[in-house]
Amino acid sequence: MGHFFSKSEKVQAIIKGLNLTKNLYVSSIIIGPPYTGKKTLAQSVFPIAPIVSGENLSELKNILANSDEVIITDFEKITNPSSLNLVNKRVIATANYVGNSALIDDLFAFIYTMPPLIERTEDICYLQALYMQEAISVLLVDSNTTFNSEMIPADLSLNNKSLKQSAYKFIMKYSLNVEDIQEVIFHYLFEHLEGKDVYREHLPLYEIPLIKAGLKKYGSQLKLAEVLGINRNTLRKKIYEHKID
Amino acid sequence: MNTKSINSIINFEPFVEWDNSPFVLFSNEGKILYVNHSAEILFGSVGAKEMYELALAYAPAGFGYITTSISLNYDSFLFYAVTVGYENEEHISLRLYHTPHLKQTRSVHGESLILTDINVLLEANIALFKTKNPNPLTLLTDQEIPQCKIDQNNFSKLLRKVLYAFRASSSLDITLKLLIGQYLVVDYQKQSLIGLHFRANGRYVDGDKEIEAISSLCHVKPILKENAILLEIPLIQ
Repeated sequence: MGHFFSKSEKVQAIIKGLNLTKNLYVSSIIIGPPYTGKKTLAQSVFPIAPIVSGENLSELKNILANSDEVIITDFEKITNPSSLNLVNKRVIATANYVGNSALIDDLFAFIYTMPPLIERTEDICYLQALYMQEAISVLLVDSNTTFNSEMIPADLSLNNKSLKQSAYKFIMKYSLNVEDIQEVIFHYLFEHLEGKDVYREHLPLYEIPLIKAGLKKYGSQLKLAEVLGINRNTLRKKIYEHKID
Repeated sequence: MNTKSINSIINFEPFVEWDNSPFVLFSNEGKILYVNHSAEILFGSVGAKEMYELALAYAPAGFGYITTSISLNYDSFLFYAVTVGYENEEHISLRLYHTPHLKQTRSVHGESLILTDINVLLEANIALFKTKNPNPLTLLTDQEIPQCKIDQNNFSKLLRKVLYAFRASSSLDITLKLLIGQYLVVDYQKQSLIGLHFRANGRYVDGDKEIEAISSLCHVKPILKENAILLEIPLIQ
């Protein structure tokens, strides 16, 4: 079971509502975009409730027949939700979208809306730092390497999923040594070496990061050409060829 | 035995006091001089000034008594007629006659009713409501109200619907208290009532039919007004 964290006022109100009703027999649903922590939140408030996906209707009906409480994930995937008997059950459902709003309105006493991460700015920094630490631990990154979570680009396109991915990718990329980089390129080239002009076609793999890093570090093409030990016109030509800004 | 002699040996006041019809005696300045038990309860739903104006409007032209058929509605009280009378310039009396109710044999299905602290359900619904409506909300509750048996899910739905009727209100006042002197007969048992009052400067009425339908499932009586909703909840224990 994951730990749920949020400082967002809207999410705190959901937590308050769920906590107040955690001992009552009411049906609640949390609706919000994918990967916003709906299931983790439900589990954190109802840690011993059985969990079942809406895709598995027979198991869901079985649990409803034998248990007083249940967490139903992917509620929108239930084929015939009106057939469910939620009377005197403690039901916490999660759904990625509303679907049949009249049915949701009829079945559930509490209808909570989970805001996407982009609306929870208070949470982003905390989650970035959390995922960064998790990535450092999981990827067994050298503890001498220092990272700042503010350096990580916050990809919120898929909420927690994309934010976590961006943290892992960042840590992985920045912790590679020369052998790792060579090995990565080796695997890439091994998969893609085909044709008659392969050397020229794959030069961008090396030249683009080289020129971009050089321009960022030295600021001017003149200085960079000197550092790289190539003619200024050659550098300009390569910048044009690789469409580097 | 004539009336005068009966008056001298029997005190009629208790008969008026415990009459089911509200009876009020006003001074000629509109001051209340006497109210019977039934009228005391009625004054929980209507002001004395309105009652006095009603008395003046339906008073007979000269000394004496006149009964007028008129439909009146104050919250859950319905009346079909009033009698107004005065025998001098100092006092005027008003008596209201309840519209007869069809005897309702309300029955409750015990299995769906669970002993519940209504305050908890109210607080949870308010937390949800506040996520969508940031306007000021005041809540005055009697924490001493005992737990009562209620259909938790349907009652929560009812609260959600009622609060939704105030979704655009600039402020909302909510009061939860015991309704003194009022009761409801459920399964041939007299049950006290809890009053849950929502009051604002205006409200939507688009969900009123749903509120009435869900109220019926919860054995709750909704009183729907222009700017307010009152839920009368039987205190089943």
